[in-house]
Amino acid sequence: MASNSSLENTIDKILNHTESNILSSLDSALSESRQKLDDSVSTLEQEYDQIISNGRKEADKIEKQIIGSSDLKARNKQLTTVEESIDKVFAKALDEIANADRSGDYSNLIKSLLDESTKNLGTNEVIVFTNSKDKDIVQSNLSQYPGAEFSSETIDCLGGVKVKSKDGAMTFDNTLDAKIQRLKPLIRKDITTQFGVGN
Amino acid sequence: MSEGGVQYSKIAEIKGPLVVVDDVSNAAFDELVEIETNEGERRLGKVLEVGNGKAIVQVFEGTTGLSISGTNAKFVGKMMEMPVSKELLGRVFDGLGRPKDGLPDPIADKFVDINGEPMNPEQREYPKDFIQTGVSVIDGTMTLIRGQKLPIFSGSGMSHNLLAAQIARQASVVGTQDDFAVVFAAIGVQYSEAEYFRRSLEESGALKRSVLFLNTADDPAIERIITPRVALTVAEYLAFELGMHVLVILTDMTNYAEALREISAAREEVPGRKGYPGYLYTDLSTIYERAGKLNGRKGSVTQVPILSMPSDDITHPIPDLTGYITEGQIVLGRDLFRQGVYPPVNILMSLSRLMKDGIGEGSTRADHGEVSNQIYDAYSRAQEVRALAGIVGKAGLTEIDLKYMDVGDAFENEFLTQATDENRTIEETLGIMWKIVSKLPKNEITKIKDKYVDQYYKEK
Amino acid sequence: MAAKGRIVWVSGPAVRADGMSDAKMYETVTVGNSKLVGEVIRLTGDVAFIQVYESTSGLKPGEPVVGTGNPLSVLLGPGIIGQIYDGIQRPLKELSKASGSFIGRGITTTPVDMTKQYHFVPTVSVGDEVTPGSVIGTVQESSLIENSIMVPPDHKGGKITNIVSEGDYDLETEMATTEKDGQTFPLKMYHKWPVRKPRPFLKRHDPTVPLITGQRVIDTFFPIAKGGTGSIPGAFGTGKTVTLHQIAKWADSQVVVYIGCGERGNEMTEVLVEFPELKDPRTGKPLMDRTVLVANTSNMPVAAREASIYTGVTIAEYYRDMGKDVVLVADSTSRWAESLREMSGRLEEMPAEEGYPSYLASRLAEFYERAGRVRASGSPDRDGSVTLIGAVSPSGGDFTEPVTTHTMRFIKTFWALDAKLAYSRHYPSINWMNSYSGYLADIAKWWGENISEDWLKLRGESYGVLQREDTLKEIVRLLGPEALPDEEKLILEVARMIKIGLLQQNSFDEVDTYCSPEKQYKLLKLLVDFYNRGQQALKEGAALADIRAMSVVSSMLKARMDIKDDEMSKLDQLDVDMQEQFKSITGVKVQN
Repeated sequence: MASNSSLENTIDKILNHTESNILSSLDSALSESRQKLDDSVSTLEQEYDQIISNGRKEADKIEKQIIGSSDLKARNKQLTTVEESIDKVFAKALDEIANADRSGDYSNLIKSLLDESTKNLGTNEVIVFTNSKDKDIVQSNLSQYPGAEFSSETIDCLGGVKVKSKDGAMTFDNTLDAKIQRLKPLIRKDITTQFGVGN
Repeated sequence: MSEGGVQYSKIAEIKGPLVVVDDVSNAAFDELVEIETNEGERRLGKVLEVGNGKAIVQVFEGTTGLSISGTNAKFVGKMMEMPVSKELLGRVFDGLGRPKDGLPDPIADKFVDINGEPMNPEQREYPKDFIQTGVSVIDGTMTLIRGQKLPIFSGSGMSHNLLAAQIARQASVVGTQDDFAVVFAAIGVQYSEAEYFRRSLEESGALKRSVLFLNTADDPAIERIITPRVALTVAEYLAFELGMHVLVILTDMTNYAEALREISAAREEVPGRKGYPGYLYTDLSTIYERAGKLNGRKGSVTQVPILSMPSDDITHPIPDLTGYITEGQIVLGRDLFRQGVYPPVNILMSLSRLMKDGIGEGSTRADHGEVSNQIYDAYSRAQEVRALAGIVGKAGLTEIDLKYMDVGDAFENEFLTQATDENRTIEETLGIMWKIVSKLPKNEITKIKDKYVDQYYKEK
Repeated sequence: MAAKGRIVWVSGPAVRADGMSDAKMYETVTVGNSKLVGEVIRLTGDVAFIQVYESTSGLKPGEPVVGTGNPLSVLLGPGIIGQIYDGIQRPLKELSKASGSFIGRGITTTPVDMTKQYHFVPTVSVGDEVTPGSVIGTVQESSLIENSIMVPPDHKGGKITNIVSEGDYDLETEMATTEKDGQTFPLKMYHKWPVRKPRPFLKRHDPTVPLITGQRVIDTFFPIAKGGTGSIPGAFGTGKTVTLHQIAKWADSQVVVYIGCGERGNEMTEVLVEFPELKDPRTGKPLMDRTVLVANTSNMPVAAREASIYTGVTIAEYYRDMGKDVVLVADSTSRWAESLREMSGRLEEMPAEEGYPSYLASRLAEFYERAGRVRASGSPDRDGSVTLIGAVSPSGGDFTEPVTTHTMRFIKTFWALDAKLAYSRHYPSINWMNSYSGYLADIAKWWGENISEDWLKLRGESYGVLQREDTLKEIVRLLGPEALPDEEKLILEVARMIKIGLLQQNSFDEVDTYCSPEKQYKLLKLLVDFYNRGQQALKEGAALADIRAMSVVSSMLKARMDIKDDEMSKLDQLDVDMQEQFKSITGVKVQN
């Protein structure tokens, strides 16, 4: 039995050894996998955080974008509406001017337009153009400007005159259209202030 | 100046962007001119020289298609003006300040001469408010200050637009948000670059606080003379009348200077260096000096002009004269760009002159100036060592040399390199700086006082 | 009779007017309806060519031009100190009262407050004979400046027939009258002088006294003398302006005239904000109390830039004539030269190099000739000086361009700023190999008498180390530092120490910003001693690594910042420590 027991002992020893080996390797595998799990948890957490924060950033961005652009859209809509109203006021005003009574004060207006024009050109040697409606008033006023000629050719405008030097080098556009054009920015501001919008 | 408005039709000469009008009796220097063709097409210009019955007019939209017999010039009786109002925010204009977004003309609060007037130096307020851009290399080593003019010197194809857009987006986050505005002027750049900028502002929600002026590559070249001026006129109004902090980005000033050269050549003036007019310096200064702060007024105009250096040459007249006027420069380096570093800022050639007064205790941190000096010193040494290593090999280097090489790498990889949407606080930036400086042994730290070394040096 | 003409042509700052046959060359005129200030610079027939000192936008042919009969002049009297003027002596503060934050046009003001009262103390009495330049009394202009009221150089002088007693008077008061050849002439506290005409003096002295700037690389290596001329050229970003500001702050002169000629607006503002806060190291009084600013920034009208240099130098000469040392800093003479070029171009003159007019060199020479240490005219005897320091902004940093090369012919101290040094943050970036001073021999005596006999010798030795390093650097570049023997490695090491511990100076550091001559000398001596002692130690068998590792090295490098001017004993202690440490490393070696 001695041999048997020694064999058993040996087997036991081997078994023991193997067992401890197996156990220790099991242990290390376990701890390794635990470690791995731990690691992956933190990595996962990090990734999770990353995803969340990226999402948040993206959401922030989109939110800002939406708020920004909708603000802007609303404002731009307002600008367009105001402009439409301005256009209406203008159309009405132009209509009134075009159909204004050509007597009394209007003759004075024509005279001041002619004065201004000849002064700006620095000469009375001019040819004066106007539309068919103002033809008579302009012509009657011209007698006060020796050297000025009246052109039979009519131009398309609301009223007023266009004055050209006889050599053709200089022109001064003093039609009501041109005058209004020059004043338009100021008139627009006036209208908007009356609407109570803008500045 | 009298009312003006007379139209002259005797054209003596058309050459390059210039129209010479004869028999002019009533025109003023610098006066706005409307050029009209017989077909009714209108262009704008201004008087460059007047006298002896002649006026030389520079036509912004160019002279293509104009003829001697079919051209009229109307002298408008005023300087070129830009209508200004708060409603300009969120709008897009062309290079001459006319709407380009399909919306009506702005309703002006007032009309302002686009040439502006020089600020009285006695009335300036010395700029010292730190702007956090969130870009480490700028905040840490070339701090931008409110009211400063700090250009980006770049080269063709480099990432200057990314950087400028990042500054515009991130700088807006700091401080009083409502008071912030961006004025962007595209001067002869490609449409895609201008569009990138617009989109970037839109995405950050800043578009409603921005005004855009776009003269793209296919727009008339001479118009570029006007673009920065209308942009700055609006910026001054927003800053000094409405109290906003305005960041103005002008890109690309090289195209501006080229337009100026074209006019000078057409006038047959004696050229200065490289064919640019002798008055290029003075002319550029009338743009760049329109940055600043004023006593008793709330707002500020900060300029970040961008210019591409022809052949990356910093001694070329455009970057050279710009550098003499601006308060420092951010220079992008081709080598760094090739390595894929963003932002590829060459700090050794870069500088912010106003940094010293905007940093330190009370604004950033007491050690900021000194740690920044040490970073410059260390990176400069690192570059020397790299050059030496290229000749004698790493083996020929001393222990300390190798440490400097490490510092150089860390500087580029950890400090300089940053994502385009990464917004670092100044504390984060200073933290990285100390991390890099701490790679050196303590006795190499000659630019920082001991008390800061004791406090921030990171022992290994 | 004053000329009255009409504008016939306008182009930028240049205007032509006809009907001007009564105008004189360099006469000031008012131009246009808005009465802009201009100066006649050429006459052809009855056409005058005028440079206008204000923006000409909106000016039209046909508008009037009226002569004043006087050349461009400055008003000289108490009240100038502490002011900031534009290029034609209009006080910017007064301009802002008229036009707000931005500079308007056509505004007339007086350069000083004519109604302000000063306490006058007469120094002559009735019956005394006075000549042009003689002092008749004094007033306290600022806490630092006692202003001598002088008989103007173009006054007849004569016997004092009447003089006010001590008391408070304003500038328009008649202070005294003289009589000569049966005529009487009044004297006030102020007079006018044409800017383009140098003020007369009795005779010139040799410049033998150094101007102490407190900047080590200047005072120790490339000094300038009182009454001397210096130039500081450099590409942008090399720290030109900071260096000039340092000189304006710390130079041991009684008066500083700072001209911002075509430079940045914020730089002038910086001076305005900073100088009243800073104290003069010698008197403890605010620096603004000795400073006058002339500011014509780059975006201000270009013609006034040309005038600003003359306005500044005439003010400097005025204080020189009182017997004061005056430093004039002009930043930048290149912008002044460019304004000459621009006007010359408009005059359609034949250009010389790079479009500059052919008279560029002679104009520069005339300007620098106005420097000098002189005996003033009149009595009592007074010696004063004007030191001229001009910045040059060479295009592309190229020192061969015309303004730099011409300037070098007329100046004796040359501080060459170096972009490479600036890129590595070595400030001030004055390159020690390219710079020079022609005053070294003249002023060595002063250092010998006031600081130490061996100053010149030590300077020579330390400069020798830097020169040796410059040649050795070439070898290192090819073969690496290990190829050198230890003695030569020590040269590199000491050169590095001289650069960091002496040549570099941090102008933003409270202590380092100003360095007294004593401290400069001691730092210099410490470094030279270290070098000599180090070479000796190597011979005695010490290891270079041990020398490098000495703790005193780091202390020496930081001494410029750590040790204040009133702690000289600490520098002596450093010397003792150094000797000790050398002893210990050579001692150890012997034992082995």
